[in-house]
Amino acid sequence: MTNINGKTYAMNAITPMNAFYTPILKLVFFILGHVKSLQADLIHLSFIHFARWVVVKRRQFPRLSQKQPEEQLHYDYLLFFSNFNGTWNQYIDAFADVLSNGLNLIWRWSAKYPGARPVTDFKRYIALVQFDTDYYYAAYPRATANDVKAAHRVNAAVEEFARNSKDMTPAEFGAAYLKFVTLVQMDLGSTGIGPVGS
Amino acid sequence: MPNQSGNVYGLTILSPIIDGADGNVSHDCAIRDYLADLPRDHRSPFAKVSSTHLARLVVMDDVVFVGTPAREEHLQSKYLVFETNFDGDLDTYLTRMAREAPDEVHAVWRHCVGYPGVQDPAAFAGYMKQCQIETTFFFADVNNQTVQQTLRALKVQSGLAHFIEANQGKSAGDTQAAFRRFLEKIRRAPEPLAGEYEGHPHGAAAGLEDAGKLDPLASDYEGHPHG
Repeated sequence: MTNINGKTYAMNAITPMNAFYTPILKLVFFILGHVKSLQADLIHLSFIHFARWVVVKRRQFPRLSQKQPEEQLHYDYLLFFSNFNGTWNQYIDAFADVLSNGLNLIWRWSAKYPGARPVTDFKRYIALVQFDTDYYYAAYPRATANDVKAAHRVNAAVEEFARNSKDMTPAEFGAAYLKFVTLVQMDLGSTGIGPVGS
Repeated sequence: MPNQSGNVYGLTILSPIIDGADGNVSHDCAIRDYLADLPRDHRSPFAKVSSTHLARLVVMDDVVFVGTPAREEHLQSKYLVFETNFDGDLDTYLTRMAREAPDEVHAVWRHCVGYPGVQDPAAFAGYMKQCQIETTFFFADVNNQTVQQTLRALKVQSGLAHFIEANQGKSAGDTQAAFRRFLEKIRRAPEPLAGEYEGHPHGAAAGLEDAGKLDPLASDYEGHPHG
């Protein structure tokens, strides 16, 4: 499936929104962007590499030629793009469990949004508004978001240990090496192919 | 700026697709046909534009009707959605696309309205910016590391795991000497390839079952059981 490359899933969704609500939603995003503590749950979920919401106003669809027909839309549209690890069901379940209030704040302005809970209605809505990806590229397809963060911690620890242990005697090195291995051991899981998802 | 999170830029582009046929197929189908065979591993055009973390191309046929009482409406054009997450600034990235992946860029965007070609990278960048929609909210889990830094860190991580395994039970002196060689090996290692399935050049298309066995850093540590 083209929605998946390695361990990452590309989700696209589009929902219609009354233009009247667009400024409110933009204000919500402005606050979310400037109050970092409000992003804590999103960060702690830790299986999203990158995600974005894009509001396209009804007259904002690019028109590059007079020959191109002008869009005649009633609604503004909210586009959502996510790059996450795991299966579609895991993602929606976790989103609905952990971020239901945040999701409701973002999508409640979209037409016929049922709310993030109960999750069955929410999944039905997402399945309706999702569209598939034709081409998906990942620079590090075998690594999850957690793998990436762990790798950077290991890399920093190796550099620091290399600096600190440079002039140690073998006995000093032995003791320091044990501490180093204890420090990094939780971050040494290997990357690889993911389970088959749906 | 909402398009940016730390050092990562989140670019969203909607390029209107030409209405009508390109030979025997419509332009949107021609894009889909081309993308279906475009490599997704280290041979991808986005691996050439190596500051790309993740990128997607999607033909958006229409908007979605969510049911009554919502109003049903349709787009007049189909749009090519280009969503990419990359290091650095927008102009440099778009210029690199035109210079470093001109054939692939041309094969895709030649089906879009107003596309000026890639011969003049500045004109291509200008065209893409005309199609840009500002990102309203952008989240990047890791926003302070480049693609190359991440690829390298992943290599070091897997190499260190093998190193520790291979040197268990050795004397402190032997481990210290081996660690020095390990550091030297890391520093001399070539830049990892973006998009690569760790030494498995056709990983994206193949089953990937043996991909990990070909990790060049993992294969030759002294004392490693598989070395």
